[in-house]
Amino acid sequence: MTGPLHISQDDLALYAMQRLSREESATLREHLAKCDECRTELARLRGDLAMVAISVDQHPLPGGARERFMRRIGSEFTENPRPAKPAEPVTIDRPSRSRGAAWMGWIAAAAVLVVAAGLGFQVSLLKARLHERDSRIASLEASKSRAEQVVEVLTAPASQRVLLTGTKTPPVPTGRVVYLPSQGGLILQANNLAPIPAGKTYELWVIPANGSAPIPAGLFRPDAAGNGSVVLPSIPSGINAKAFGVTLEDAAGSKTPTAPILLAGAVPESGV
Amino acid sequence: MYKSEVGSDKSLIDRVRTREQQAMTEIFDRYSGLVYSVALRVLNDSGHAEDVMQEIFFQLWRNPDSFSSSRGSLGAWLLVVARNRAIDHLRQRKSGEPVDEAIVASGVNLQNETERSIIIQRVQGIMVDLPREQQQSLQMAFFEGLTHSEIAVKTGQPLGTVKTRIRSALTSLRKRLEA
Repeated sequence: MTGPLHISQDDLALYAMQRLSREESATLREHLAKCDECRTELARLRGDLAMVAISVDQHPLPGGARERFMRRIGSEFTENPRPAKPAEPVTIDRPSRSRGAAWMGWIAAAAVLVVAAGLGFQVSLLKARLHERDSRIASLEASKSRAEQVVEVLTAPASQRVLLTGTKTPPVPTGRVVYLPSQGGLILQANNLAPIPAGKTYELWVIPANGSAPIPAGLFRPDAAGNGSVVLPSIPSGINAKAFGVTLEDAAGSKTPTAPILLAGAVPESGV
Repeated sequence: MYKSEVGSDKSLIDRVRTREQQAMTEIFDRYSGLVYSVALRVLNDSGHAEDVMQEIFFQLWRNPDSFSSSRGSLGAWLLVVARNRAIDHLRQRKSGEPVDEAIVASGVNLQNETERSIIIQRVQGIMVDLPREQQQSLQMAFFEGLTHSEIAVKTGQPLGTVKTRIRSALTSLRKRLEA
């Protein structure tokens, strides 16, 4: 299985998929422990396998799966608060008594101490929970009041709206898409686009929410000021989009997008 | 209308280490669909696939150090972990190797949703183009968890041929992605 120098690619691939027997795996692990080259190739094979994994059809999560996860990580805090530190033992000097009587006293005292320590621990635990809850309520109230203020500032008719940009840095390319899936209506307004060479064009893509192939949604070239637009390209109606992207393609356009994605924006789940 | 992809995977994991639930939520929103889809492909049962998916993300929340950037990209690592956990679930056993410690070298950026969609399309295209017998051997080993001996029996092909087909499929996939 392992050659004089390295593990064969065939066996490394099976090992990466955990498809070798225990004995075969143990032999490989021994070699891997001392061979950088095989470890590097194994990591690359796992990268290849990640790509095999990503090739599966994409499915939406079952209803409520996200909420179940949120509840689970949320409950962690309330179920596992940090325990309060138990009190340090205190030494008490007492006059000497007969051995039997003395032991009875110690046993009784120990019992009381155990009960008291237990109660004390519970009380401090409850106090800690109460304190945590109070802090959380206070924090929520503060957040609510701040949120109300934010809404007021954002929605007040008297608010002034000013766009600030860096004074010395080159402007960042941006694009705004307005999309009406039911009519296949789409408008893109892009700004601050970099000039492109002759023979090239920008191409807009609709990324469907159902995981099917990106749909070409129009070619455009920027004007001298870096502005470009696509208005009502010919695309099918009724396609729910999860994202939009812009790529640079040959002048005739392309049927599939060419990396890198120059502009990208995802549609929020609510679709607004 | 516009939602930016806030936070790199690394910064999100750093925030999860400080027990920030919002960061964990962002990781879940980013990758739960991928992880669930892989588990569903292996297990063919939505309930079990969700169990595997929930457990992977919960363990990442409990122990964010199980992933470190030295293990590669978070997305690629989660995909490999999802497949391995689903196979373990399928075979009702604990695996011999600690998969969470697996290093996954991948230059593919899965953080951005648009890039992710395009990569999925591209890989699906490459996989469909592979010779049918390579596809079959790879699918049996990767998604059905069969050993090369089991595949050899099932397909009636010699062991060596099965191994070569699996490796050839992975080599072609890598070359096409790097092209």
